[in-house]
Amino acid sequence: MSEMIIRTEKLTKIYENGYSTVALQDVDLEIPRGSLSCIMGPSGHGKSTLLHLIGGLDRPTSGKVFLEDLDLTAVDANHLAEVRCRRIGFVFQFFNLLPVLTVLENVEIALMLAGIPPRNQRERAEELLGLVGLEDKLQAKPNQLSGGQRQRVAIARSLANDPDILLMDEPSGNLGTKSERELLENIEKVNQRGKTVVIVTHSPSVAKISHRIIYIQDGRLKKEGE
Amino acid sequence: MTRGKLVFKNLTRKKSRFLFTILGIAVGIASLVTLLSLGTGLEAEVKKQSQALGAELVVTPKGWCAYEQISVLTGESLPEAIPNEDVEKVAGITGITAVPYLVQRTAIKNQPVTVVGILPEPMKQFKNWQIDRGEYRLDRESVVVGSSIAQQFELKAGDKLTIRGTGFILRGILKEMGNRDDLVIYLDLATAQKLYGVGDKVSFIAVKVDDVTQMDRYSQEIQERANVAVVSDKQLIRSVLAIMGTVRNTLQMIAAVAVLAAAFGIINTMLTAIHERKREIGILQALGARRRTIFSLFLYESALYGLLGGVLGLAAGFALSFFAAPYIEQSEFTAFLGSAQSVKMFSPAVVGQAMLFAVVVACLAGIYPAWKASRLSPVEAISYE
Ligand SMILES: Nc1ncnc2c1ncn2[C@@H]1O[C@H](COP(=O)(O)OP(=O)(O)O)[C@@H](O)[C@H]1O
Ligand SMILES: [Mg+2]
Repeated sequence: MSEMIIRTEKLTKIYENGYSTVALQDVDLEIPRGSLSCIMGPSGHGKSTLLHLIGGLDRPTSGKVFLEDLDLTAVDANHLAEVRCRRIGFVFQFFNLLPVLTVLENVEIALMLAGIPPRNQRERAEELLGLVGLEDKLQAKPNQLSGGQRQRVAIARSLANDPDILLMDEPSGNLGTKSERELLENIEKVNQRGKTVVIVTHSPSVAKISHRIIYIQDGRLKKEGE
Repeated sequence: MTRGKLVFKNLTRKKSRFLFTILGIAVGIASLVTLLSLGTGLEAEVKKQSQALGAELVVTPKGWCAYEQISVLTGESLPEAIPNEDVEKVAGITGITAVPYLVQRTAIKNQPVTVVGILPEPMKQFKNWQIDRGEYRLDRESVVVGSSIAQQFELKAGDKLTIRGTGFILRGILKEMGNRDDLVIYLDLATAQKLYGVGDKVSFIAVKVDDVTQMDRYSQEIQERANVAVVSDKQLIRSVLAIMGTVRNTLQMIAAVAVLAAAFGIINTMLTAIHERKREIGILQALGARRRTIFSLFLYESALYGLLGGVLGLAAGFALSFFAAPYIEQSEFTAFLGSAQSVKMFSPAVVGQAMLFAVVVACLAGIYPAWKASRLSPVEAISYE
């Protein structure tokens, strides 16, 4: 078994607003470096919650998340922001892009937040957009793109800071088959470049390209292969 | 991509909201600038009018307050209260020159004009007046006027003038003095007293002393001899400035409150913007933006409202004080504020104060919304619908 880049211990998340919703319970999970994993399970059963917790976007009610040796539950908000900035790329299901910015600028902003000076941003952003086949859409605004194109911009952007880990929440959830195929090619390409990829999905075609499938039901992990 | 570029793109994305928020600030700053610049030349202007009066001491009825003292300089009508008996007593003191004033009002073509009853010859010497057109003649049917009056109402020597229902002939027009003497119709004192039915009384007496070092002594002597009060020109200037200063400060406070009200416009705009951009804030956080970064992005946005509103307000304010100043209705309170000489255009101090105020207020207004934005949890922002 290869080295684990992400590890969770008894991860539990309970949302409290008026009444308690147990979104995740006692999840112990290990994700090997360089793997392409997908998280599957019915809607509302805690998949997004799990992804947010391992990406340091949210904090668990109890349990721990380790990124290599770093305990994400023990660091402050600034440190978490730093981790998201340096090590993790996110792609969400909808609404990934800032609507006032062009495609190019949407990628550049990730570079800006990573501390790359303006004069070095453009070349890198163009390179990333080339990787996902959008070199001819640099000046387009998000609302001029198809759903698939937007997701590809989001992937290009998530790679801006050269992260180790790419977390995607139903990236092909609202795409047609052709767009999905293009997207999957991009995801595989990224994975082959050494990134660890975790995808929440309902799509069998995503499951097909994954090395490992993690099933979540009622906030609990079902044993692999079950 | 830079933060500045992002802030600017966000600032201008809702054009009408941007415009109205800016206008709110601009209106407040414009009124502040107008009032600040109207007041800048105040002191010099008051001194100038006092010089025009040409007196070191002013003899007034007892119990006059600062309000009436201002009127000595502005030419508002004054109550007549010093009887001739006292005038003569004052005039009788050796070493001083005393000229009585009876200040009243009339109207020409429905516009209010100051009428002053004077002793023709002593006054002419006292003021060093020169005649421009016609002759210097004041008697039961003859008057002279200041140059501005002649210009304003297109009067020439020989014209008929009706004052309080009585016909007069305009005999002469004085040379321009560059002060309030130009805005007056001069009547012979006795004629004016009869015309206005004030018996033998005058409003005040202007006094020149031969030896300025002896001013205190003369002041005392006048008060011993006659039942009057005496103020020096310096005291007069001081009390006028005190009152005008209060009026100016009050007006400026009101303008400052207008800017503060606009600050609530900024708060409102920013809170609305943050609500609308919750998801975008979440995206930025997911990309690794720290709380400090989110805070500063929104704070810069507010500050820009202050900066842009301030610049617009400055331009409007200067335009306003330039065009409006001459038309400000003349009264005791605005007489000095509004005169063209007291408007110092583009004073760096005014620009600095107004801009600083606009930006500081906008920043203060931006703190709460920016803080709220920075405290959003990334997940809350992302899963917001
Ligand atoms: N911010 C939240 N506040 C309260 N309940 C939430 C929140 N986010 C998710 N939940 C609840 O937690 C459960 C798991 O949600 P989620 O992780 O989004 O599921 P999935 O991604 O598998 O559809 C659901 O019942 C959902 O209603
Ligand atoms: Mg989900």
